[in-house]
Amino acid sequence: MAPFHIRPARPEDCADLLRLIKELAKYEDMEDQVVLTEKDLLEDGFGEHPFYHCLVAEVPKEHWTPEGYSIVGFAMYYFTYDPWIGKLLYLEDFFVMNEFRGFGIGSEILKKLSQVAVKCRCSSMHFLVAEWNEPSIRFYKRRGASDLSSEEGWRLFKIDKEYLMKMATEDRNYSSQP
Amino acid sequence: MAPFHIRPARPEDCADLLRLIKELAKYEDMEDQVVLTEKGYSIVGFAMYYFTYDPWIGKLLYLEDFFVMNEFRGFGIGSEILKKLSQVAVKCRCSSMHFLVAEWNEPSIRFYKRRGASDLSSEEGWRLFKIDKEYLMKMATE
Repeated sequence: MAPFHIRPARPEDCADLLRLIKELAKYEDMEDQVVLTEKDLLEDGFGEHPFYHCLVAEVPKEHWTPEGYSIVGFAMYYFTYDPWIGKLLYLEDFFVMNEFRGFGIGSEILKKLSQVAVKCRCSSMHFLVAEWNEPSIRFYKRRGASDLSSEEGWRLFKIDKEYLMKMATEDRNYSSQP
Repeated sequence: MAPFHIRPARPEDCADLLRLIKELAKYEDMEDQVVLTEKGYSIVGFAMYYFTYDPWIGKLLYLEDFFVMNEFRGFGIGSEILKKLSQVAVKCRCSSMHFLVAEWNEPSIRFYKRRGASDLSSEEGWRLFKIDKEYLMKMATE
């Protein structure tokens, strides 16, 4: 296949980022849950305080998709912090369009991410994988990944906005004792 | 008990932060795994958090560490810390607060569920993975 190259995303890539985010959500059958807009992505990723970073995979004109897209894959990441070992690179989203798989794009994106992690002196890269997603689990395990949920029993929890607003404003006693 | 107050940490608090991080690690039986360096306690609890990003809904508040010294529990300090965290989350327009809890840590699970928490690992099957530095360096250079 013709060459592709991986580069950091630019503000003008936000439309493509949103397109690929929705495509990945569709793959997980959750497309209508994407409420983020291009404007959000622009403000949140390319403003004064970026909340995320992206790498994109671009192909030359002769390999653009029928719709005219040149960006065929992306990875969204940011930096997190482990109070025992310090900085971590957190891989939030990672997707290559179906028709562009099997050419080493995913591996090259991971390689670039690893270089970022090493350069920024991160101790590790963390990410979530759905337990049913066996192809991805194999992809990562081949590269040295271990499952911390299995090994150490970690479970991911969330407290959604409605409950946060409750806690932010009330004086309720949550004690389990009478 | 005497009143307490919750405030943002300052640079001069780092010695206390490390002390409490180690104390929490001891509670999890992992004290010797703390390798971060640094340096009549008035600081008796802490929460460490940062902002993360969900590509579907945007900004999140991520609660990384949360600990109150044993002898200071039961006085509402934890609740007050959570209340302040919730205010930060709402002010910064975060859609949700995420955090990990160990599956054996039933008191914590109950503490969070009482406040509206749901277990995304159970509900959606998410598993946390890591790729450590030795494998990152392999990938970075091969």
